[in-house]
Amino acid sequence: MSADIILVIVVATALAFDYTNGFHDTANVVATSISTGAARPQVAIAFAAILNFVGAFISISVAATVAKDVVDAEVITPTIVFAGLIGAIAWNLITWYFGLPSSSSHALIGGVVGSAVAAVGFDAVIADGVIGKVLIPAVVAPLLAFLVAAVAIGISYRVAGKQRPGIVTRGYRYGQIVSGGLLALAHGTNDAQKTMGVITLALIANGTLAPESDPPSWVIFSAATAIALGTYSGGWRIIKTTGTRIIKMDAAQGFSAQGAGAAVILASTHYGFPLSTTHVINGGVMGAGAGKRLSAVRWGVAGNIFVAWLLTLPAAAAIGGLTYGFTRIFGTGALGPILVTLMALSLIVAAFARRAQRGAPVEATG
Amino acid sequence: MMLATILHTEELLSTMVAAVVAGIGVTFAFSVGIWGAGQFVELSRNERPVAAAAAGIVGALALACVVAALAIGILVMTDK
Repeated sequence: MSADIILVIVVATALAFDYTNGFHDTANVVATSISTGAARPQVAIAFAAILNFVGAFISISVAATVAKDVVDAEVITPTIVFAGLIGAIAWNLITWYFGLPSSSSHALIGGVVGSAVAAVGFDAVIADGVIGKVLIPAVVAPLLAFLVAAVAIGISYRVAGKQRPGIVTRGYRYGQIVSGGLLALAHGTNDAQKTMGVITLALIANGTLAPESDPPSWVIFSAATAIALGTYSGGWRIIKTTGTRIIKMDAAQGFSAQGAGAAVILASTHYGFPLSTTHVINGGVMGAGAGKRLSAVRWGVAGNIFVAWLLTLPAAAAIGGLTYGFTRIFGTGALGPILVTLMALSLIVAAFARRAQRGAPVEATG
Repeated sequence: MMLATILHTEELLSTMVAAVVAGIGVTFAFSVGIWGAGQFVELSRNERPVAAAAAGIVGALALACVVAALAIGILVMTDK
């Protein structure tokens, strides 16, 4: 009974994490299309939400990586997964509160690794998987998106730049409907799969699923729904800030940035690499800016991303580990996770209330 | 060998090649499509129908390549 209660809490927490992931990432996915005038905000957000939902169904490679290649599922318990999720959510809230553009994906993996180390020791971590499938792609993917976007915008200007501006702008705006759609699809497939992977890991840990199992249909459907709802509701809030906070770019730059981001995320997803979609999309946007002129890039933002990237894995791991330690004070039953959930909910409500009072903008994480 | 296993070199390289080919290739093809449309309008205005038609065909073929690339990409994604 106690194990089932913990499992329900884990699934609910994972879906809440997925919802907040979509909520925060809406800005990343739709900003470029709205900024260049390729789509009206309402249309772009609804389109992104639908394609996030669809994207969650097209692959399970990343879910398999999260469930099988990060920590040893045979020594993991649902409480460890729960503590990892709390580590990720807490770090997301902290970075959101202070306006740091951190990665939800890295926070999730860091949180689970930290709680697993606290509970079982370093033997619980599959080092090959963490290094080869998480850390290395985390460095390579944003740089790749930067380079692809920079080369792509150079080609765009060279090939189509001498045509009448009206035709060029209209053409790339139409193109952005497709590239923006692909980006939303890519975001849905990579990010929703991380939640699927964590829920699957908890189900395996609880004995509900056999080891090496793929995510069940209900897990895929619920993760897809959570990220799509998050994307849709997050969008209505960012409409207010869109005009002032998004980098101004032309339609060709928007097309190149979105195309590069979508290509990198989709290719990585196919090979099961759980990426930070925020970092990849920002890499694409910066590449499209740098391809035009280097001074167009907000290098300060790039620095913030780098700092947040360095901090995210260890910080989320530390919080995950501490959370696990706290839950164990109350034994191995459901009391610890229930108390932590209540405390986390109180903190979330307090943070949102304080942030709303200050009228601060929403920062993207991914 | 050990390092190659940890790094998942083959998968990482395949990801990089796929991203470069798709990201740059599709942008190039789409830009050719816009070039074709622009040239078609321009040459038609200048009453050069044969050249306009040729530019239009090049543009249409380039856009067809974009559609084909997207279709192949989605098929590959859903195949695994």
